[in-house]
Amino acid sequence: MKSVIRYLGAVWQIFRKDVQVEWRGRQGIPVMLVFALMIVFLFNFALQLAPDLQAGLAAGLLWVSLAFASTLGLNRSSSLERENNALDGLLLAPVDRSAIFFGKALGNFCFTALVGLLLLPVFSLFYSQNMLRLPLVVMMLLGVANYTSLGTLLSALSIQARTRDVLLPVLLYPLALPILIAAVEASRGVLSGQTFSDVTVWIYLLLAGLLLFNAAGLLLFETILEE
Amino acid sequence: MMASTTATPFNGIEVRALVKRYHLQPVLDQLSLTINEGDFCILVGDNGAGKTTLLRILAGLVRPSQGEVTLSGLPNPSSPQLRRMIGFVGHQTMLYQDLTALENLHHYARLYHIEHLGKAVSQAIRALNLALVQDQPVRTLSRGMQQRLSLARAMLHNPSILLLDEPYTGLDQEAATFFDVLLQNLHQQGRTILLSAHRPQRLLQMASHVAWLRDGKIYKHVPIKDLHHVPELAAYVQEVS
Repeated sequence: MKSVIRYLGAVWQIFRKDVQVEWRGRQGIPVMLVFALMIVFLFNFALQLAPDLQAGLAAGLLWVSLAFASTLGLNRSSSLERENNALDGLLLAPVDRSAIFFGKALGNFCFTALVGLLLLPVFSLFYSQNMLRLPLVVMMLLGVANYTSLGTLLSALSIQARTRDVLLPVLLYPLALPILIAAVEASRGVLSGQTFSDVTVWIYLLLAGLLLFNAAGLLLFETILEE
Repeated sequence: MMASTTATPFNGIEVRALVKRYHLQPVLDQLSLTINEGDFCILVGDNGAGKTTLLRILAGLVRPSQGEVTLSGLPNPSSPQLRRMIGFVGHQTMLYQDLTALENLHHYARLYHIEHLGKAVSQAIRALNLALVQDQPVRTLSRGMQQRLSLARAMLHNPSILLLDEPYTGLDQEAATFFDVLLQNLHQQGRTILLSAHRPQRLLQMASHVAWLRDGKIYKHVPIKDLHHVPELAAYVQEVS
C-alpha cells in the first residue's frame, strides 16, 4: 500500500512540476491555442458549407486542430526534459520509471484537454453547432487521452534521436490514425444526433487504445529511456 | 571461542568485466574496478576514453552490454533502492530553467520522498551557500551557482556514493575553490566519491586514489600517496593538468 502511495505521489509530483513550469513560462498552452484557433478561423473562411454539412466538418476540424496543437505540446513537454538533461534527474530518482510516463502523460492530457475545452465555444460560434454538449466533451477527453498517451510514449522514443523534432510527428501521425478516425466518427455521431449505440464501436476502439497505450507505457517506458 | 563467519558487507563500488558497446563499437572493454567505501577516487583519461559512460552506468542511467556492477553490495544500479544511495552530478545541471532554485530542490526532494522536506532543502541551501539566490529562476543564475545548485540536488537525499562527472567544468576560480572545500568535507564525512576530471592536479591534495581509464579499461589504479611509484601515471596527470 505504501509503495502504491509513493508511486502515485511520484506521478503527481511530475505532473505538478510540468504545471508549475507551464505556469512560469507560459510557452505551451498559449502556442497550442493560437495554432488551433488559426486552423478554426482559416477553415471557416475557406469552406463556406451548408449548415447540414457542418456537423461532419466541425468534428473533423476539431480533431485536426487538437492533433496538431497537441503535437506542439508534446514537443514542448519533451524539450523541457531535454533542456539541461533534466530527464536524467527524473531517471535518477528512486521511483519506478513508469511513474515518469504517467506523470508526463497526465500533464500532456491536461494541457491538450484545456485547449480543447477552450476551442469548443469557438467552434460553436463559427460552425453553427452546439459543441458544448456533455457527450461530445466526454468523447473529446477520451480521444485526447488516447492521443497524448501514445504521444508521450513516442516522445520518449524520439527524445534521444538527433532528428527528434521531426521524428515525433513522423511516428505519431500514422500510429494515431485509427484513434483519430474513431474520435472523429464518435464526435460526428454525437453532433449529428446519433444514439449511443450508433457510436459504441468507436468508443470501444478508443477505450481499447487507451488501455493499450498505457499498458505499453507501464511496461516499456524504462526500456525505451535507458541508453 | 568461535570466530564469526559473517562476511562484512562491501559498501563500495565494484565493477567486474564491464563492457559497453555503442553501435558495436566498444567504449568500455572488460573494465574492472574496485573502490572501497570512503575512498575518493579521481578518474582520469583522454576525451572519449569512456569516463562519462562508466559514471552513467554506475548511476543506472546506461545499461551495460555485459559485466557486473555492484554498489554498496547491491547489484543493478537501476533499481530504485540503489538509486537512493547515489548522488550524481553530470555535465549538465538537470535543473528546470523556469523554476527557482528552491522549487527545483523541492521537486527533487518530493521525488526522493525525503522526510522533513523543508528542513532538508534549507540545509542544502545553507551548505551550498545559495540563500541569496534561492528565489531566482535557474536561467538567471551564473554557471557556478547552477553547478552549486546541481550539487545541492545531488546531495539532498544524503547519498553514500557520489558520482561526479567533470564538476569543475565552467567554474570560475572562486566557485572552484568553494567546490574544493565542499568535496573535502564530503570525503571527510565518509562518502565514497568517484570524480572524473580533465585537470586532476587540484584534486590530488584531497583525493585518496587515482584511476586511469585507457582503451576501455582501467589501466592504472593507485593510491595518491603511491603516485610517484607509477611514473607513467604521474607524468600523464602532470601533462593533462
